Amino acid sequence: MISEYLTEKEHPAGPLQRLDPRAKIIGLISFTVVVVSTPARAIWVFAVYAAVVTFLIGLSRLRVGYVLRRALVVVPFVIVVAIFLPFFGRSGSGGYSLGISHMSAGGLLVLWNVGAKAILGVLSMILLASTTPFPDMLAGFRRLRVPQVFVLVVSFMYRYSFVFAEELRRMQRAVAARNFRGRWLWNVPILGRVLGSLFLRSYSRGERIYVAMISRGYEGTIGLSSPAVFGWSEALFLGLLIAVAVAVRVVASV
Amino acid sequence: MHIPDGFVDLPTAAVAGAASLGAVALSVRKSTRELNERTIPLLGVTAAFVFAAQMLNFPVAGGTSGHFLGAVMVAALMGPWAAVIVLTSVVVVQALVMADGGITALGANVFNMAVIGGMVGYLMLVGLKRLLPKTPTGYFFSVAIASWLSVVFASAACSVELALSGTVPLRVSLAAMASVHMVIGIGEALITSAVVAAVLSTRPDLVKTYDLPTGVLANRKARALGCRGRVWGWVLAALAITLALAVFVSPFASSSPDGLEKVAAEKGFAQAAPQPGWSLSPISGYVVPGMGGAGAATAVAGALGTVSLFALVLFVGRAIGRRSRGISSPRPGEP
Repeated sequence: MISEYLTEKEHPAGPLQRLDPRAKIIGLISFTVVVVSTPARAIWVFAVYAAVVTFLIGLSRLRVGYVLRRALVVVPFVIVVAIFLPFFGRSGSGGYSLGISHMSAGGLLVLWNVGAKAILGVLSMILLASTTPFPDMLAGFRRLRVPQVFVLVVSFMYRYSFVFAEELRRMQRAVAARNFRGRWLWNVPILGRVLGSLFLRSYSRGERIYVAMISRGYEGTIGLSSPAVFGWSEALFLGLLIAVAVAVRVVASV
Repeated sequence: MHIPDGFVDLPTAAVAGAASLGAVALSVRKSTRELNERTIPLLGVTAAFVFAAQMLNFPVAGGTSGHFLGAVMVAALMGPWAAVIVLTSVVVVQALVMADGGITALGANVFNMAVIGGMVGYLMLVGLKRLLPKTPTGYFFSVAIASWLSVVFASAACSVELALSGTVPLRVSLAAMASVHMVIGIGEALITSAVVAAVLSTRPDLVKTYDLPTGVLANRKARALGCRGRVWGWVLAALAITLALAVFVSPFASSSPDGLEKVAAEKGFAQAAPQPGWSLSPISGYVVPGMGGAGAATAVAGALGTVSLFALVLFVGRAIGRRSRGISSPRPGEP
């Protein structure tokens, strides 16, 4: 469940892990934007992008199985688009026919477009998340002048999510131990009651912790702990990543 | 509903992102007066709750499930601005940490879930509250209907964005997404009213949108109403609203080709298109053959389509559920 996502932090030491979070945030997000903007017909360009992402994943020594398992989140969406494909009145030469359904070349291009971009996007976000501990990422966003409200709300949210996920798991176990089997829509009110008491517990826990924080001198902000340096290696990473992506993208659209 | 990268093209993503940015900025500014060192931790707590609650899949039928969105719940408890901030934080963290929802589709995802769920959901809640009788029953009906509508609207917005990007055809995807979420929305409505009822019965001070007297008796009644959850009533109500929409709205829907078809016609490849399997369907083009009066025929086609999609969702769920029933007992840690 939730804690698997949040705690399965693999931080093998690597050059990418040592970079300032700002460089990784800007670099990988811009990379994804460039990838999404690329016309789908330029198939070789996507091979170059994939090579870049694979190189970076190898550089940060992430386990392949771990990365692939997390990348599975996009599969259902690609399947949905594939189901809609026969309804596309697009045509053109080529494509495949199977009975009454016809997959045109245009439709297949849409599928390729969506699938390739979704996988590249998800891989770059996995790369960002697994090479940057979440508090560091938040500090990076804060140094990038994201409104403090969001940084604070998200940092509290991150701290509490583990607790609430565990609490929810305990409550689910308790409900299951009392012979509840949620199978149908009419079982949902039980889950509604579970969530209702989870909310009440969470909220009063939040209030208690807030009082405890006040008594320990909380003033409404959380200081940045580690000094950050945006040095040569950050500049090199950012410059190279964006330069390669943009160069390939420009060549593709010529 | 978390759209991955590549499913929306950059122009659509930019427009949705600009709209979300505006809504989020407005929410931050509107709530600055209330946002102090006390409320921010509580917003964080609520966001963590929504984050955890979204991991809980609720059953729809058999093995199929939907998951809780929670936008109208937060809006009912804390108002629209807090709802936008909380849901935006949740969606951003899902994109960054879990890679659930693409980073370039972030604007679209925030729009669908935070802006539509939080702001539009709140407006619907307040409007319904004004229309319905000022009793706990009326209040819970407004909460339930607003949360049902928020899910349906969010899914409709999602399919419009996908269609604008040329990923899926508009009509088919809109019909499919909206009908599936009309069923999933019932779960959302049940959970939202149960949570609001639970909070109302013990901490009425936390429910911002409830302005009726909160004595012991009223609370007990409210709790009973919210928790009883007459599911079949909701299924029938959802079906009735859908049918009404299909019957009364579809004849007035534009008969001009939708955006994609128009583009196709302009680019000149519409003629070249072999008619796909869709046209073999007996109600193709939303007109029942052999019925006079295009308006009535369209309405009947809409109603038939709606009922059959509802039946399809329930039937498929039942089939899947039956197959897996004998095999496994519920694993620990799952509902």
